Amino acid sequence: MSPQTYRDSDTVDFIVVGSGAAGGVIARELAQAGLTVVVMEQGPRFSPRTFRHDELKDWYLGGITNDAVRNPQTFRSDAAQKAELQKFKPALWYGRGVGGSSLHYTANFWRFHEIDFVERSVLGAIPGTGFADWPITYADLEPYYTKVEWEIGVSGLAGASPFDPPRTKPYPMPPLPVKSSGVLFERGARKLGWHPVPAPMAINSQPYRGRPACVHCGFCHGFGCEVRAKASSLTTVLPEAEATGRCEVRPESYVFRIETNKDGRATGVTYFDGERRERFQRSRGVVVCANGAETPRLLLMSANTQFPHGLANSSGLVGKYLMFNYSSRALGLFEHELNEYKSVQVTRILHDFYDSDPRRGHYGGGGLDARIGPQPTTWAIRTATEGPSWGSAFKARLKEFPRSMQVACHGTSLAVESNNVTLDPDLKDAWGLPAIRVTYKDHVDDLANARFLQDRGAEILEAAGALRVTKSPVSEQSSSMHLLGTCRMGHDPATSVIDKDHRSHDVRNLFLCDGSSLVTSGRGQPTMTIQALAFRAGEHIAQFAKRGEI
Amino acid sequence: MESPPLSRRSLLQAIGAVIATAATPLGWEDVAQAMDDADAHAGQLAGPGKLSFLTSAEAADIEAVAAQIIPTDDTPGAREAGVIDFIDRALATFYSQLGSDYRAQLTAFQAACRELHPGALSFAALTSDQQIEFLTRVDDTPFFNTTRLLTLLGMFALPSYGGNRDGTGWKLLGFEDTHVFHPPFGYYDRDYPGFAADATKTR
Repeated sequence: MSPQTYRDSDTVDFIVVGSGAAGGVIARELAQAGLTVVVMEQGPRFSPRTFRHDELKDWYLGGITNDAVRNPQTFRSDAAQKAELQKFKPALWYGRGVGGSSLHYTANFWRFHEIDFVERSVLGAIPGTGFADWPITYADLEPYYTKVEWEIGVSGLAGASPFDPPRTKPYPMPPLPVKSSGVLFERGARKLGWHPVPAPMAINSQPYRGRPACVHCGFCHGFGCEVRAKASSLTTVLPEAEATGRCEVRPESYVFRIETNKDGRATGVTYFDGERRERFQRSRGVVVCANGAETPRLLLMSANTQFPHGLANSSGLVGKYLMFNYSSRALGLFEHELNEYKSVQVTRILHDFYDSDPRRGHYGGGGLDARIGPQPTTWAIRTATEGPSWGSAFKARLKEFPRSMQVACHGTSLAVESNNVTLDPDLKDAWGLPAIRVTYKDHVDDLANARFLQDRGAEILEAAGALRVTKSPVSEQSSSMHLLGTCRMGHDPATSVIDKDHRSHDVRNLFLCDGSSLVTSGRGQPTMTIQALAFRAGEHIAQFAKRGEI
Repeated sequence: MESPPLSRRSLLQAIGAVIATAATPLGWEDVAQAMDDADAHAGQLAGPGKLSFLTSAEAADIEAVAAQIIPTDDTPGAREAGVIDFIDRALATFYSQLGSDYRAQLTAFQAACRELHPGALSFAALTSDQQIEFLTRVDDTPFFNTTRLLTLLGMFALPSYGGNRDGTGWKLLGFEDTHVFHPPFGYYDRDYPGFAADATKTR
């Protein structure tokens, strides 16, 4: 429990809805600036000591994430279809607990490049899409990328990649030790004349800011880090926010409505507490950092007579332009053991194909990385979908586990208005609130780009001497952990939801900051940029509050 | 009978069926509670070789299917891993709501088997070749897909859930259940000379 607590009747300066990558940072920035903050988190507060290497729990029973039963969602690929209940996993999957998705992410921390912010101007319009420039540039964000690297803690090697954007400081920690997948990736890519480099990861390669170095247990992707070497808001910025004595983190507090007064200002939030009692917390301002799925859902659920289409939605774009990124992969089998289940997922990446190139015949670019992917249980289940699925031949395939790796290929998603988050007209969650309905169909260029990058991945594996290379089918996605673009930032209130400082165009004291703020998808690995935006937003929002401008 | 190859979709559907019916309607906290309860009542709940949900005849058939999914050859398979103990325990605790559907699927499977082999006492009583021949006909049915999913979970999930006995599944994969590792991790990073930044300088 936080050392400082507030009563519902107290009017705090800010409520931050969501305690993940963005919410944690903003809470700390506001509290350190002298403002009082309550952070509302729908999930529980786990102790890192309770995180286990438990695939059944965390991958199949919703251990630290939303799950398909309490938090059901429906999915359809276009609006003409009836959306189907997703019985296995929610279509949009996110961490549900203090720390949010920073609990279970892989912690790849690439900066976006300069081109990401101005791509529309450089490449021109793409018909049928909402492809647009950002209202800020890489230069605006660079100080905050640096802040993420130093305040959160990122391991990496500055200057290694010839494609990296300008930076003002090196990384605070050296790269993590290379794995066999990284060595093979580097070997193959260099034979092809490409530029593999050490992966920047938000995982400690040495003790940093009171947290220990990675012990290479291998359970990052989909798991909480019991060692605290993988940075999460639970173990970095939130304790720092609480240490100010001005921030309460309130778990099991499920916000379902932002209240407004006759002047059109936010007055606080209504939420269910752990006993499902309906409560109201009063505040001077509200910052929603609930992720690219839950932020638009909350705004849509907050519709009232004054804002009949949802809060901050005069543009009609709340929930629209959902972007997943596309992750394709090529699998390689090698003669000797790699033992990729050990240590962090990724130790080498390359950005030779980051920029879009019209000569490829489609929009898009991406980054490639070397990894294994799943741990044993998920390896076995996945293997059953890609060849013999039972019997001696299947058993033989399972045994390839330590000699296997993949090149994961992270690509762009175009902003398409018909890809979106809406409220399901029928389905309710376990609290009786409207469930999320997802409509999503990868743009044809996104799929072409995914195949282009996958071919490059396969070439790397061949060049590295793989005994067998296979390409997983590239087909339309129906789920994602990258939840981007659904409350985009922009100058024009008609074509965006928030301004360049994350203030909603419609409600003066309502701010939004998380994956929903992104205008373009980048090339996978969005958390770094989400946190840079959060540091910048937190600083600006604190200044507005102090100047009486909220 | 048609026996189309397993598709990704059918596997996911099987997983979906498991989750939807079994479904953690309560979430992990409650599952954890169930696990704790199961541990606390270990003497009451069946240990290895004892059954809580399945009858011994049901368990014998399911175990025989599991043993064809991951057969025993020069290395242990699903049988030695105690997958059937995992499945029984799952159906008795954290997947309890799956029980009735799964039992109905099993009954249909057994009926189909009797139809083909009227003289046999059960699927488990068939020869291995007969079992394989029969499973080839039914390996895209809900029963088989669910059994495969439960078999894989039971083979590789934490031994505390009842399967993966003595880390049998992990040994099969070559997965070392150790909490702390040090480089080198594998064959190819043993003699790595260090990252040569020069090699990347030219654009």
